[in-house]
Amino acid sequence: SVTEIRSGFTAIKANIQARDPIRTLSILSYPHSLHKVKSSDRCCITHHLFNFYVDKVFKHCKTEDSYVNRKISSIANSFLSVKRKLGQCHEQNKCTCGQESTEKFKQILVNYEGLNVTSAAIKSLGELDILLDWLEKSR
Amino acid sequence: SGELYCSLPNPRNVHFESVNMKNVLHWSAPEGTGDGVVYKVKYSVYGVGKWIRKPECRNINRTWCDLSSETSDHEEQYYASVKAFLNGMCSDWTETTRFNPLTDTKIGPPMVSVSSTEKSISIILTAPEKWKRSPEEESISLLQVYPGLRYNVSVLNKKTKKRWWFSVSNTTLVVPSLEPGTAYCVSAQIYVTTPFLQSVFSEEYCIATLKDKTA
Repeated sequence: SVTEIRSGFTAIKANIQARDPIRTLSILSYPHSLHKVKSSDRCCITHHLFNFYVDKVFKHCKTEDSYVNRKISSIANSFLSVKRKLGQCHEQNKCTCGQESTEKFKQILVNYEGLNVTSAAIKSLGELDILLDWLEKSR
Repeated sequence: SGELYCSLPNPRNVHFESVNMKNVLHWSAPEGTGDGVVYKVKYSVYGVGKWIRKPECRNINRTWCDLSSETSDHEEQYYASVKAFLNGMCSDWTETTRFNPLTDTKIGPPMVSVSSTEKSISIILTAPEKWKRSPEEESISLLQVYPGLRYNVSVLNKKTKKRWWFSVSNTTLVVPSLEPGTAYCVSAQIYVTTPFLQSVFSEEYCIATLKDKTA
């Protein structure tokens, strides 16, 4: 659940964010904050973002710290279970994607591909609280 | 003071202390430096390119700087940085970790007001307000910021020392079936499940139920 993801991330937040020296770029927030996403597009962006983290981010987040690695894999597992639920919504067409959310997700991918894969993955992982804050606010 | 070369030790433990989103940057003086050290402060919004100087915290000798105004958008995240100067020498900039006002603030206890009848007490709980620049500015309750905000309430019978606990989300709680003419003390705490935040308990507010008129 999101609460499990939040507590897992809180345990490693300082460690992961300290590995990201780039202050001037955000994967999720550039150029516009997630909070600007229209409520009608929220399900679609959430669906895309959970796929993004599972398919692109977690696999590139290995560290030399076994405790951090364990936390990352438990976060990844929680993402997988939420992703499955979101997939069902998507299949039942309850999660339509408007043009704005498609554009927003494209921008996120551009931000991600603008960095080398390890930096991009660690930065994305360090921005999990941006995603969680947005998810919880819009619950 | 001109910056000759930066061999001064760095300020230490540069961090935000935040209560109800009043966000104040704190630090400790560089090791081994006595009086006379002054500081400059700058901050940046995470994901935005530039550092911004804080003029009111330029060449100050205190070791804190209120950045509440600059960090008031709790949907953004921030870094702040401090540089020390002494006798023409300077330190490097020393940064905070990434500061997220939403998850890194401490929440103050709720306000509690109580009233009573013969056999019940009514408790009204009010969440603190988010910090604001001036009294004229619109107030934002932390209830609006944290939709999942709840209250833990403790009610103590002063005579029997029996205590009840309640966990509520609405702001009014009526405790029925109490003893007439008895003192009860109420204390309350705020908690948010995600992100996990928990205030200290408020002070105790005591009130007596009215005496039984028929007795």
